[in-house]
Amino acid sequence: MTTMKEEGNYANRPSNTAFTQQRLPAWQPMLSAGVVIPGFLLIGLAFIGIGVGLLITSRSIQVLELDYTGTETSSPCYQCTMSNQSNCVCKLSFSIGTLFKGPVFFYYGLTNYFQNQRKYGVSKDFNQLIGDVSYFKSPSSDCQPYQRVNGKPIVPCGAIANSMFNDTFKLYQIINGKEELVPFDGKGIAWWTDYNIKYRNPDYTPLKNAFNDTEKPVFWTKPAYELDTSDASNNGFINQDFLVWMRRAALPNFRKLYRRITEGNYKDGLPAGNYSLEISYNYPVISFEGTKKVTFSNVSWMGGQNEFLGIAYLVIGSMCVVMSVVMLIVYAKFRFPEED
Amino acid sequence: MVKDDSQSGFTWEARANGRGFHTARQKKSFLCFQWGRYAGNAVHSHKYSPLTFLPLTLFEQFHRAANLYFLLMVVLQCVPAISSIPWYITMIPLLVVLSVRAFKDLANDMARRRCDAAVNSRCCDVLISQSFRSAQWKDLCVGDILRISKDQVIPADLLLLCSSEPHSLCYVETADIDGETNLKYRQALSSTHIHLTCCPSEGALAAFDGVVQCEEPNDRLYVFRGHLLWRGECYHLENEHILLRGTVLRNTGFAYGLVVYSGTDCKIMRNCGKLKVKTARTEQVLNKMVIGIVLCLLLVALLLAVGNSVFSGGVMRQEGPLSAMVFNGNPAYSGFLVYWSYIILLSPAMPIALYITFEVIHTIHSRFIGWDLQLYWQPGDRPAEARNTSLNEELGQVGYLLSDKTGTLTQNRLLFRQCCIAGEIYGNGSVRAEEVEPMDLSWNPFSRGGLHMSAQSLVEKLRGHQCPASRQFFRALALCHTVMAEWKDETPVYQAASPDEEALVGAARELGWVFLRRTRDCVVVSELGVSHQYQLLALLDFTSRRRRMSVLVREPGGALNLYCKGADMVILERLQKNSPYLERTETALQVFAEACLRTLCVAVRSVPEASWEKWRKTLALCAVMATAERDTQLEKLYDEMEQDLQLLGVTAIEDRLQEGVPETICLLRKARIKVWVLTGDKKETAVNIGYSCKLLDPDARLLEWQDLRQILQSADPQVSFMKARQMELWATSKENAPAKVSLVFTGPELAEFEQKPEWGATFMNLAQQCQSVLCCRVTPAQKAEIVKLVRKHTDAITMSIGDGANDVNMIKTAHIGVGVAGVEGGQAVQNADFALSQFRFLQKLLLVHGRWSYRRISFFLRYFLFKTCSFALVHIWFGFFNGFSSQSLYETWFIALYTVCYTAAPVMCVAIFEQDVSAETSLELPELYRSGQQQELSGPLQLCLSLLHAVYTSLVLFFVSFGVFYNTAYDYQTMAITVAMAATFTASAEIVILTKYWTKLNVAAVCVSVVMFFICSRITHSSFLFQRSPSDYYFLGVSERAFADPVVWLTALLAAWTAVLPSFSAHAFRAVLNAPDKHKVHSTAPQTVEMSSKFTRRSPLRRSSYAVSQGEGPGRVINSAVSTRSAVMMMDEKSAATSKPAG
Repeated sequence: MTTMKEEGNYANRPSNTAFTQQRLPAWQPMLSAGVVIPGFLLIGLAFIGIGVGLLITSRSIQVLELDYTGTETSSPCYQCTMSNQSNCVCKLSFSIGTLFKGPVFFYYGLTNYFQNQRKYGVSKDFNQLIGDVSYFKSPSSDCQPYQRVNGKPIVPCGAIANSMFNDTFKLYQIINGKEELVPFDGKGIAWWTDYNIKYRNPDYTPLKNAFNDTEKPVFWTKPAYELDTSDASNNGFINQDFLVWMRRAALPNFRKLYRRITEGNYKDGLPAGNYSLEISYNYPVISFEGTKKVTFSNVSWMGGQNEFLGIAYLVIGSMCVVMSVVMLIVYAKFRFPEED
Repeated sequence: MVKDDSQSGFTWEARANGRGFHTARQKKSFLCFQWGRYAGNAVHSHKYSPLTFLPLTLFEQFHRAANLYFLLMVVLQCVPAISSIPWYITMIPLLVVLSVRAFKDLANDMARRRCDAAVNSRCCDVLISQSFRSAQWKDLCVGDILRISKDQVIPADLLLLCSSEPHSLCYVETADIDGETNLKYRQALSSTHIHLTCCPSEGALAAFDGVVQCEEPNDRLYVFRGHLLWRGECYHLENEHILLRGTVLRNTGFAYGLVVYSGTDCKIMRNCGKLKVKTARTEQVLNKMVIGIVLCLLLVALLLAVGNSVFSGGVMRQEGPLSAMVFNGNPAYSGFLVYWSYIILLSPAMPIALYITFEVIHTIHSRFIGWDLQLYWQPGDRPAEARNTSLNEELGQVGYLLSDKTGTLTQNRLLFRQCCIAGEIYGNGSVRAEEVEPMDLSWNPFSRGGLHMSAQSLVEKLRGHQCPASRQFFRALALCHTVMAEWKDETPVYQAASPDEEALVGAARELGWVFLRRTRDCVVVSELGVSHQYQLLALLDFTSRRRRMSVLVREPGGALNLYCKGADMVILERLQKNSPYLERTETALQVFAEACLRTLCVAVRSVPEASWEKWRKTLALCAVMATAERDTQLEKLYDEMEQDLQLLGVTAIEDRLQEGVPETICLLRKARIKVWVLTGDKKETAVNIGYSCKLLDPDARLLEWQDLRQILQSADPQVSFMKARQMELWATSKENAPAKVSLVFTGPELAEFEQKPEWGATFMNLAQQCQSVLCCRVTPAQKAEIVKLVRKHTDAITMSIGDGANDVNMIKTAHIGVGVAGVEGGQAVQNADFALSQFRFLQKLLLVHGRWSYRRISFFLRYFLFKTCSFALVHIWFGFFNGFSSQSLYETWFIALYTVCYTAAPVMCVAIFEQDVSAETSLELPELYRSGQQQELSGPLQLCLSLLHAVYTSLVLFFVSFGVFYNTAYDYQTMAITVAMAATFTASAEIVILTKYWTKLNVAAVCVSVVMFFICSRITHSSFLFQRSPSDYYFLGVSERAFADPVVWLTALLAAWTAVLPSFSAHAFRAVLNAPDKHKVHSTAPQTVEMSSKFTRRSPLRRSSYAVSQGEGPGRVINSAVSTRSAVMMMDEKSAATSKPAG
């Protein structure tokens, strides 16, 4: 009874809770040799396992990479690099020994190309690209120096759009000396969100009307509304090639998906044989010491070939195993004499 | 006596009733301009006014380099050409920080304002046009005449003009000034006493037109120099004429005073020191670290900018997509812009969130201190309080504890515990005072309780008239003192200058020898109910040299007796030859000393009439001698009288320590905290307390100033010190134990020290090897000086603890100031960083809260630097692959949310809940405290290691992703999210390994943070937000794809594991190696305790002393027979006739 009464008188008495008294129930795991050594061993083994799996998967992926920059005189594209001739076409011949399993992805690749440069990267107008016509008239200042030309606004403005890759490829299989066109599938090579949300054409029919009083990017040969006149769903800002280009590469050496080979006779892949790749060579890379290449690759669950990941997992995994062994030795050396 | 005006330097003038004169010259200020001479009596400790708040707080906040830096970042981010991150990413947190801090400052200032207002609005009586009217303190000014009534606090430094008591005496309690609770007397000048004491006094006072000329305001509490010019005469003024602000008038009906110094000019205010903002050492290290990091970042940014220029130059020469992107076609200009962009981009390495979080954690730690039930003092209903919330981790690093004595270590309550009469010991000193069963003293009508001694046999002896020695013993106690009796409710209440005397007279009263009253020439004592009047012939006063006092009385029977009490050494050598019980008394002294009791010997001498006559004549001759000569003569004369004593017995008084003081000091010393005691009290008392509170070991050698000076002056102080230390040891014991030395010195000696600053370092060097240091008789300013000395010559954290206004200065000077909220609230607490109710709470405050705080904050800082640097430095490496273009590798929202959402909660939980060992274990193993003192967790090395780890992590984060994404079809945004994911995983893994104390909240915090990353990423990458603002949420759809991609996951996991591998391995190795170590700590701990307790019993030194106030005792006021000073010269004729028969 007295205690009850007293409690009331002590107005400033701190409350007796686990939190205020810092006695919250807690789990205090003690790291010990018994946990640490097997732990490191297990993690190491797991990493080695993953590494082996990755490496095997990666090795099973077929990759064919062909450089067509044409810096060497022997290269079939050498003549295209010589002068500023337009519509230069060169043919690259190659052969495939065994069936290149499908679906085969066809990439073009560039090196020493800094798509991740900041000024280059910000040089576009999101509002233009979602089809907001008001920004056609006054492009964002980010687009400098590809904002206006001859006083007219550029649509799509900016360095990325301006520098769009414009080499085109046609693949022929040579069957009995005759060239048979390998059909390319250019649908769905861009991201779904890019195609459906991030880039929209203005709501104009014909599309051309939206582009009145605007200029095409200076490097372009044709305006945006003529990128694919045959297919309205692949024209303008939602042209798949344009979308792929607009998605900036992470690093200066990159590839970008150009087409997939999924149709007709080539559904199961590229059969063994001789092939010829017809390149319309437009994109200059020699001026900045870049190279151009094309890559055929099939894919697995982990995407394209990637040896680095597998090897890195193996290295780190082995390090962990070694570490656990070292710890075991240290433990044996320092611990046991103590207990004797 | 009085010097010429021009020479004396008395430039301060106070004109009585000169309000007009003084108010015209009152100090005023506007902004930073000040004019006028006399400060008003109002105290202003607040900083802000409504007008100045905003500019001042902004000025103060931008004084912090960090805030200025962030402001610069915001400004930079607003420049479009260089803005690599949108401006709001930094601006919003900065605004939050600024406003939170401004609000906190404002709240503190308001509290100070309220506090000031309470003091300023206290009332006192001021003489205004012939009558006293109540006025507030703040309205007083120099020259006012005040009436102070009993128990009032004195509002300003006053010249005492007269009082209601005879001879215009008055008593003041100076507890708030020097910590002494005994009463001190002050006396008015004879001329003012004579001319102003009349009824009613208003008229005389109103006509008083004296002018005080004195020194300029200063901080010397015990010195006042000046003179009063009145009616054409010049009277010399001294400290005894002055009533200081903050003292309390006691035992005196009224006192009238003239304000000499007011407000900030008062001596105590001058002693207060400047209000300084204290910053924790960790914060200083952090600040240095921040500056270091920022400088590094600037350098790196510069290098990257150079890289950009070179790269741009290269691009310019070529014809490519990038050549047009070079700013204005000028690589150097491009590099210049990129420099600033990189500064912005790398600035998240030093996030604002650090400072906010730091503050939040500090606040929570402070709340924990306030919430702690073990720091709650039930009798006072007072919890501990952390008034300064930024010093918590310093509590875990304290190296020096500088403590006040009175009220902090001791309760200043003295208890009569034992006595030894005729060789027989009464009472039991080993029982705690509270546990002594009270004796039945109902037979004694004057008994008021409070005797903590149980000795029924003694009572029986006394009442049974069996033992004349014991009766005489108590008669001596009832007669030989300078106590005043005041009658309240039919019982005498004793007012003593020394608490010892009060205890002795009180004990005598309890046992039947009741001191009833005294007049100038007689003392009335009721002996077992029968009143006897003793004629007081002479009072041989106490001085610190004599260490004894005596009274010569004529008993009612006519016999002459000298009763004497004093330190054992002094009394024992003055005993009659072969006096009985000597041996048993010596044993008793030993026993009392072991129980840490303060002893006094009591003796009597029966004086033959003839020798009294002779002695009296010599005394009368002495009285008219010149001062210097007289004092030595008197001493000789006294010595003559105090011979051939007959030992009556020994009293043993316990100077009550605060609860748990010895245990606390013992524990703190084990935690290697050096405990110094700084007290205004005298040396004997301090040393005594030092022994009883285990500060000094009984076998420790006391190194006093003379020895110390020799050592310091010698060519090689270290060698001399070792010699001095060993000398004593070899003499007393053959054991080869390390000699224990403690330093003892006093304030005046310290003053000498201050003149030789070169001694400081040597002195500290020696002091470090000493067990403890006792500084006695030090003024508040000197206390602060000592703290400064320690701060200057060591890099340890100092902590001051005290309870009174005299400790304020040292509390402010030390790294950490602790105020003991004693019986009276006091200024100490107002100025302290932490307020405790009991000294013993220091144990938990330091060893538990301090240690935990230190660990938590160290972990927090290191982790925070790690996580922010590791994530921001990635941009350096990325720069090499994007043409040094200051391209961010992260989405801006990730940068904004990383420190706030994805990694903040787990480290907050660690910083709040982490405990390596429980509170109980922390107290059991004080050794654990040392890691804080040595900065094992927060040293520069540790911080550098964390930074190194951060650099390594940033390398791993980038290059693992680089290896995976090189020459693939993965785009920049997927890489960004991969690196972001890896960074989040790394930060989470690191905190998981750091957390040793997993509460539910910790688990939740880690889980929620990681999940937050995924959720927030999905949200900021959603089409909904993109459609609202395309340029802010342009990472549309990235996470959706990336989170479904096994390569992204595998890359992130690999990078995270590789990044934390070093720290995981370090922890693992520590776990493998450390296991036996813990065992060691446990096994060694109890041993030391046992050892020290063994030593304690060896040879306790006797401690006999008598605590009275500074200087001479008050005896001369009580009995003017021995006084010849001018102040007492004009006592009324009658008393002069009786006390000075010769005159």
